[in-house]
Amino acid sequence: MSFAFNEDQLDILREVMNISLGETTANIAQLLGAFGTMHIPEVDIISSKDLQAFIGRDLSPKEDYHVTKQLFSGHFGGEVIFIISKESSLNLAKNMFQAPTTTEDEINDSVMELTNIVTSTIVSRLAAELDVTVQFFAPTSAIMKCVEIVDEEVLSYSTVIVLKTIVDFQDENIVGNIFVLTKDEAIQKLKDLLDKKLEELFA
Amino acid sequence: MEVSKDIETLLDTLESGHIILDGDYKVTFWNRWLCINTQIDKRDILGKDLFEIFPSIDAAILKRKIATSFLLSTPTFYDSNRKEPLIPIKRNKVTSGSLEMMQQQVTISPCNMEQKAVMINIYDISEVHEAKILLARQMKKVKALNTLLESQQDLIDKNIIMARVSLDGTMVDVSSKLCNFFGYEKEELLGEKISLLGSSKIPEGIFSELWSRVLGGESWSGELANLTKKHELKWVLLKIDPVFDGDGKLKEFSAFYSDITNKKLLEELYIRDPLTKIYNRAHFDKHFNSLFGDQRKTSTPSALVIIDIDHFKKINDTYGHQTGDEALIVVASILEHSIRSEDMVARWGGEEFVMLLKNVSKDEAIEIAQKLRSKIKEANFASSLTLTCSFGLTLFGSSDDPIESFKRADDALYEAKNGGRDRVVFK
Amino acid sequence: MIKYILRRFKLKILVVDDSKVARKYILRSIASIGIEAEFREAENGQEALSAYKEERADVVFLDLTMPIMDGYEALREIIAYDKDAQVIVVSADVQSEAKLRVLKDGAKNMYPKPISDEKMRTIFAEDIV
Repeated sequence: MSFAFNEDQLDILREVMNISLGETTANIAQLLGAFGTMHIPEVDIISSKDLQAFIGRDLSPKEDYHVTKQLFSGHFGGEVIFIISKESSLNLAKNMFQAPTTTEDEINDSVMELTNIVTSTIVSRLAAELDVTVQFFAPTSAIMKCVEIVDEEVLSYSTVIVLKTIVDFQDENIVGNIFVLTKDEAIQKLKDLLDKKLEELFA
Repeated sequence: MEVSKDIETLLDTLESGHIILDGDYKVTFWNRWLCINTQIDKRDILGKDLFEIFPSIDAAILKRKIATSFLLSTPTFYDSNRKEPLIPIKRNKVTSGSLEMMQQQVTISPCNMEQKAVMINIYDISEVHEAKILLARQMKKVKALNTLLESQQDLIDKNIIMARVSLDGTMVDVSSKLCNFFGYEKEELLGEKISLLGSSKIPEGIFSELWSRVLGGESWSGELANLTKKHELKWVLLKIDPVFDGDGKLKEFSAFYSDITNKKLLEELYIRDPLTKIYNRAHFDKHFNSLFGDQRKTSTPSALVIIDIDHFKKINDTYGHQTGDEALIVVASILEHSIRSEDMVARWGGEEFVMLLKNVSKDEAIEIAQKLRSKIKEANFASSLTLTCSFGLTLFGSSDDPIESFKRADDALYEAKNGGRDRVVFK
Repeated sequence: MIKYILRRFKLKILVVDDSKVARKYILRSIASIGIEAEFREAENGQEALSAYKEERADVVFLDLTMPIMDGYEALREIIAYDKDAQVIVVSADVQSEAKLRVLKDGAKNMYPKPISDEKMRTIFAEDIV
């Protein structure tokens, strides 16, 4: 099965991600009372053995990161990974709790809140644009080094689509990476949905 | 929001907690699971403000999560690792359990947009959480053991001369101490055969014996002369153990070396003649006597040869003791280089040498003796000295008597001397 | 209705977005409400500025997140070049602060992506002269 996407499919996927990210940023901005900088989302189709390196590209190997993962399923399913540095998570908690110091529970709660918004908005919007419905599962969260983000056993499937965007609230010193991942059959379903959209557009 | 009787029955059958709040955070539904686990009856909570009944709940956080769920029209969650539960519920486990309070997975779902009704769902994830904690504890132990193992491996690497050898004799890994001992870099040794460390002083027979034993899955140990990179001779006690894989198949070998160079040198001092460096009388006697007394062995006979330098006293007086000594060294050398590995030559007295030739016939022994006689006669000595030797030889078997055998060879020598010297006599 | 009849001459429209699909969206939307126009496309702010300087467009549809030169800068440059330029910002960024910024810098209005046909009608009816 060829998982290659043509230019038009990539383009429309990027555009759909862009729109989803716009709504996400606005929702976070409302939460934080700050202004977020929009970035051009990246769409990549890579083999699973390159996934670890891809995700770790902008991360430093010695730092601790707050990593939240949330699964979603439906006509096409996948996983959203939200990565935020320990420093950003502290700033986030301070902002949300309006306090100079915060407890571990409060920090975890803030990150969970942010992840909620990020995942729900991006995936819901993605689903809406593609005319499908999805369901979310409870997110899991942990603090880890970047090498631990991708399980070594991941090689059981072959290809992964990575949609990478950045949540950038520089003035608040809160920056995070969002990865939306789908694999194998879900990729084909995504392709079909994109083709349908392209058909409507270029008809 | 009104909950119909059917729905109420359904929600009451669930093994999880479900609360419905209206827009003012008042409880409009409280399912059976909650009644049982919180000991709060429906009558006592319906219509009441949730935060009043449970003041431990952080209202700001819950309200915000509720607001978010409406904003996004999707469920929001509490962190499942949270130490503080939303609603404290005690666990009933008696026999075990590190958790006293129930660990909860809490999700908040919007129910009704206009009325701002929201459902709070509580799931008991205590078992999973306990497993997580246990796993974390085990991992900690594993990490500690690994650290210990690493430090022990480091200790071994620095203090023990050892190598891991594959079944074909290639060195797969070597300790730092081994590298230091033999004077090589690790990279120079990996991939090379272990025989690289050996020396020509090792008798051929030893290797075939060694390999057949270890390939058969047994251990082998022995003393060997090995060479360092700088060609320094080192005596080692080598022990090779077989290593088996999980299925009991022979996988590789572990080779351990002990440096016995000093011990060996000391030994040699005892058994060697200091001047000529060949074996001394004490060593010869010991060896000679050991060849007798074994009635079972019906082996082929061996020859005992006694060699005496002719007119040695005169040579010493004429040319001086230094020349005499040098002559002894040369003769000893000639004798030693002529013998096979199973034979032995030793300095028996002032100008006397003895030789043991294993498994020879009378004619063979005489031939060897004659050859030696000519060699010594033709040899060059210092100060244009030439000399000759007399040879007395005999054959013996293991059932013979050592004293008698020696006397026969000695008598033969006496005859050689009396017969004019520079000759070989057999008795 | 009258406004539409009066406008039945070919407008010069410049559509700026790094995504081909996004540009297509706009072209399609404009065509579907019956507007005949001469279209020019640009992939980033720099291309947009050169295109505008080459030939003034009647309307510019401008995206914000683009490489090389983003929409914010392109907007300022175009307005600096021609203070009467009619720029409609179309972006995925739906933060209110973003809208405030672009309006302050001279855009006629800002709309979130994708623009529906209804919205497009409103644009031609109210925002543009």
